[in-house]
Amino acid sequence: MKFKAFLTENGVNLLEKRFLPALDKMGKICHLYLTRDHTMFLHNLLNGDEVQSIAQFQKEALFDDYRISSQNEDRIAFTVDISLLHRAVRSSVSICTEFGSGHTQNRLQIKLVKKLPPNSTQPMPFLTFETKGYKSAVIQDVPISKPLSRSQVLELQNALDMAQDLPQTLVQVHDLNRLQNFVDRMKHVGDLLNVSISKYGDLYVQISTTLISLGAEFRKLLVVGQQADEPAEDRNLSAQTRSTKAILQGNAHSVQVNVRHFAKSLQCHLAKPDCAFYGIAPQGACLTVIFQFFIPGSRQTDKSISLHCRLPVLDPGSS
Amino acid sequence: MEHEAPDLVCQLDSVQGMVDALTAVRWKRYQDAVLELSEHGVVLIVEETCCLQAKVYLQRELFIKYEYRAQGRPRFGVSLGLLVDCLNTFSVPGHSSVIEIQYPGPDMQLLLKSIDSLDACIYAEIRTRIPDTISWDYSFESAGGTPLSFTVKAAALKEAIDDLEWPGSSIQITLQPALPSVSFKGEGHGDLQVDFMYYANTDLLIAFSCDREVSYRYKYKFLRATTSNMPSSVIRDNRGSKLTIGRGGMLKVQHLVSVARLSAPHTHIDSAGYQHPSRIAYIEFFVKPEKDGND
Repeated sequence: MKFKAFLTENGVNLLEKRFLPALDKMGKICHLYLTRDHTMFLHNLLNGDEVQSIAQFQKEALFDDYRISSQNEDRIAFTVDISLLHRAVRSSVSICTEFGSGHTQNRLQIKLVKKLPPNSTQPMPFLTFETKGYKSAVIQDVPISKPLSRSQVLELQNALDMAQDLPQTLVQVHDLNRLQNFVDRMKHVGDLLNVSISKYGDLYVQISTTLISLGAEFRKLLVVGQQADEPAEDRNLSAQTRSTKAILQGNAHSVQVNVRHFAKSLQCHLAKPDCAFYGIAPQGACLTVIFQFFIPGSRQTDKSISLHCRLPVLDPGSS
Repeated sequence: MEHEAPDLVCQLDSVQGMVDALTAVRWKRYQDAVLELSEHGVVLIVEETCCLQAKVYLQRELFIKYEYRAQGRPRFGVSLGLLVDCLNTFSVPGHSSVIEIQYPGPDMQLLLKSIDSLDACIYAEIRTRIPDTISWDYSFESAGGTPLSFTVKAAALKEAIDDLEWPGSSIQITLQPALPSVSFKGEGHGDLQVDFMYYANTDLLIAFSCDREVSYRYKYKFLRATTSNMPSSVIRDNRGSKLTIGRGGMLKVQHLVSVARLSAPHTHIDSAGYQHPSRIAYIEFFVKPEKDGND
């Protein structure tokens, strides 16, 4: 089992400034899953009652000189503490900028190693970051779990395949900051959030308790997938009435999720996505949020990066 | 379905100001408040059994629209915490959002909705309840003769009361005319006295009116409630707070909270119109003295 690669400058930026801060909010521990072509950070994939997040990079998005080999079709997976990983990348970057001048090639190498830690007789696996400066080299070892066995990798791969189903209707939200701001304040009012998405391009989020119902409605969003035109007579009704009618007519689905999960998934905006799509998976299995990244300076989707979250549904709702 | 016009429909363009004003009287997590509507505005009242009462006056001038149609003065109860948390979700940092408040809804709810954007709307319905029977009478009467009052910079008042936390227990407030001064004295786990000398601290003690020495004791926790949630805008605006001692030692503490529309710092020409002097919410606390007053 071997893994060795060099992080590109773009890769370092993506991880250090954007993805690791975002993924850190999703949970301390995640699976790092490496294949011949992809690097994936997977949260809670084997655990159904937390927010699942799946960040996938084509190897070229992060690395050059990428070498991987294992007896399990060149697939390697292990768990790692995201905050340690983040720290290692961050300090490597600071070493590079401190000592790197001119054209000195400060390359950041990542390698899977087994080492004997101090005061131990058992060699332990580490992900090693090696920064070579002009005269010095800095090596940081990030402890990782024992690599997953063949059957565990298979289980992870199955869970990953299961997590790829697309909702039939997705609505696009541009202003994630505003939504996050709203949901963060909403958290004080209750725990259960009803999310309803219509084929007309409406997104409703609402908390209802015995004392209060508080919600927000976002209309005329871009719809991807199944869509429909809202009956003209419904357009001037109140938000709640419209949402209820759309559900009755089969033009909307509604699920209940934990407001904290919803707020957590919005932390993904730290990865600086250009927009997000919300949808309800078939049979109301989960609430899916797909973050979209554009190729810098364009409106074209950057297919080398993908990030999506799946929020567990507390009540199958009306699906 | 009844289609009677609601008692009140009003619109507000400074949600944050209203949040600030209501937060000022939020001294514990679960607090029941009574809202009283009239043609002059909305008054919110909260009390601590027989010891402390606070009122927030939101005059109709604070609202950009105020349509009042009720007979008498409708009163209803809501949870203050819920109302503040709910209003807070309407307040978007950096934007001045406009909300519409309506009472009653079809099920006697308090209805709120944002009305500044067509494609995104926040809405809320808060369940109201029938308020408790006549609250304990906090009618404040002047002590007779020269009013016994002083005005102190809000920040200094808050700091003094915060400092008195250490002795805690009860705090004695003394006004002296001979050497015009106000002193706050705490005796509990030790003694601490904070003095405001009128002539020495005119920038802190802005006004002083007293013709005889008076001294009353107040429970620290109630005194603290009067400043503990003072909105930061009060301190930023460098406002004064007025304290008056009435008959029987009843202490009235008054704060002014700005409910002005947010205006970007560089649009001062515009803001002249918005910064109407009447865009102030008045907050009053009434604190009863402890029994052993020596008046």
